[in-house]
Amino acid sequence: MTVTPQETTTPRLTAAAFTRSGGATRLRIAVCRDCAARWFPPLAVCANCAGTNLVEEASGEQGTVYASTVVRVGPPGFPAPYVLSYVDIDGVRLLAQTTADVALEPGTPVWLETGAIAEREGVAVHSYRVRPAAAEAGVAR
Amino acid sequence: MRPVYVAGAAVRPFGKHPGLTPVDLGVWVAAELLRTTGIGPDAVGAGFVGSVYGGSLLAQRVLQRVGVSGPPVFTVENACASGGSGVHLGWQAIAAGVYDCVIAVGVEQLSALGGGTLPLTTADIEIEQGVVMPATYAMRAQRYLYETGATQDDLTRVAVKNRGNGARNERAHLRTAVSAADVDASRPVADPLRLFHCCPNSDGAAAVLLCSEGFAAQLAGPKARIRASVVRSGRFHTSLRDMTWPDITERTARAAYEMAGLGPTDLDLVELHDAFAIAELLHAEALGIAERGSAYKAVAAGEFDRDGRVAVSPSGGLLSRGHPVGATGVSQLAEAYWQLAGAAGPLQVPGAEIALTHTTGGGIFGVDNGACSVHILTAEA
Repeated sequence: MTVTPQETTTPRLTAAAFTRSGGATRLRIAVCRDCAARWFPPLAVCANCAGTNLVEEASGEQGTVYASTVVRVGPPGFPAPYVLSYVDIDGVRLLAQTTADVALEPGTPVWLETGAIAEREGVAVHSYRVRPAAAEAGVAR
Repeated sequence: MRPVYVAGAAVRPFGKHPGLTPVDLGVWVAAELLRTTGIGPDAVGAGFVGSVYGGSLLAQRVLQRVGVSGPPVFTVENACASGGSGVHLGWQAIAAGVYDCVIAVGVEQLSALGGGTLPLTTADIEIEQGVVMPATYAMRAQRYLYETGATQDDLTRVAVKNRGNGARNERAHLRTAVSAADVDASRPVADPLRLFHCCPNSDGAAAVLLCSEGFAAQLAGPKARIRASVVRSGRFHTSLRDMTWPDITERTARAAYEMAGLGPTDLDLVELHDAFAIAELLHAEALGIAERGSAYKAVAAGEFDRDGRVAVSPSGGLLSRGHPVGATGVSQLAEAYWQLAGAAGPLQVPGAEIALTHTTGGGIFGVDNGACSVHILTAEA
């Protein structure tokens, strides 16, 4: 971001999908007690068995990259380039913006963090996102 | 179920038609279809019009303008599979004996949306992260290359092949062949995909006439028989999805092969949903025309060329024809119909007797695609 907005906002679905406490960013994952399906973002009704017997778990803070790309043409509000990755964390595979300059190799370990992923009308849009666990990762080779 | 035939087709050449509305495009193909088949609007029992961005009651707004005003008509939205889904519903109606003649149309006018990536409007958590369709396919591509040892050059070969085919197609949006160097020089969109690895946003429309055996017998033009018509939806989950294996295509194709009593080795040509170059590799494998992890080798060996083992997208595919979303599936049926009629001109696949068409798409989170349609057609002597 070229400017530091004074305000922040978090989109509705994203806001309900993670927690941030004591510097730790964790995902909210719902686990169905009847069929063991895992849902991120969490669901109240299991989309596999339609049961309502779900329990919420907080994820760990670490994950692994499944696939990654540098987006060069983004939608309004998302200044390109930015990196997106599918990341495996505690049995779910989710899409997250990625603090890196290049696409991360599959298998790269990442940490969850919270930060800006977009900017709209001077307001920073905050979300969970991931960064490579090794400081040297994610730098152009 | 009764046999169902395609007995006519019309395509409004794809491209940029900024001065035309979806209704204009739809009326053009519907009128052309009635004119070329010689049937009057009173013979049409029902109509299905596939479109994503065409708005409410598009079917009425199009078909009432060619005299199909009063019968049941339906606007069908199923993302990239909208047109194929409309054909499927028409096929159902005839197979079930409800109607003898149905018109299926696909329409899209994307110029009105401006340039860039298609707007995603379904308000899900991946859209909040800034996903766009090229990014999703770029990540599929990165993972496919990682798992198979294929390279960006293999993606480029798909684009070069399909653009070469499309250069011969007067209905295609992009009618220039490109070299590998041209693809490499096009601007990056989402690594490893460059612009020429992506289909253009296009305006266009297509229509096919579907009819029963008795109705077809009254028509002079060529017919193709629909041996299979299948639509499937994506399986929703948020666990460890394999992004190199589009299970929706595999499930839809398997059901279609079973319905047709045919298999992938029987196919002479496939019109495949190559919205991005990587999609030809992924879907060719899921359709069973290449072993898993080897479609890139088939492309490199020329097996998918027009005169190869099985012609894949001899029309030029979405990479050349363009992708007026709702029109794509119907235009594939039209291209396949002309191939089976021996009327494909410079696109003709020698001896084409069995064709498969495949559309899949829909960028909603939690599924590999929202909707997929597969049709298998055979030539009728």
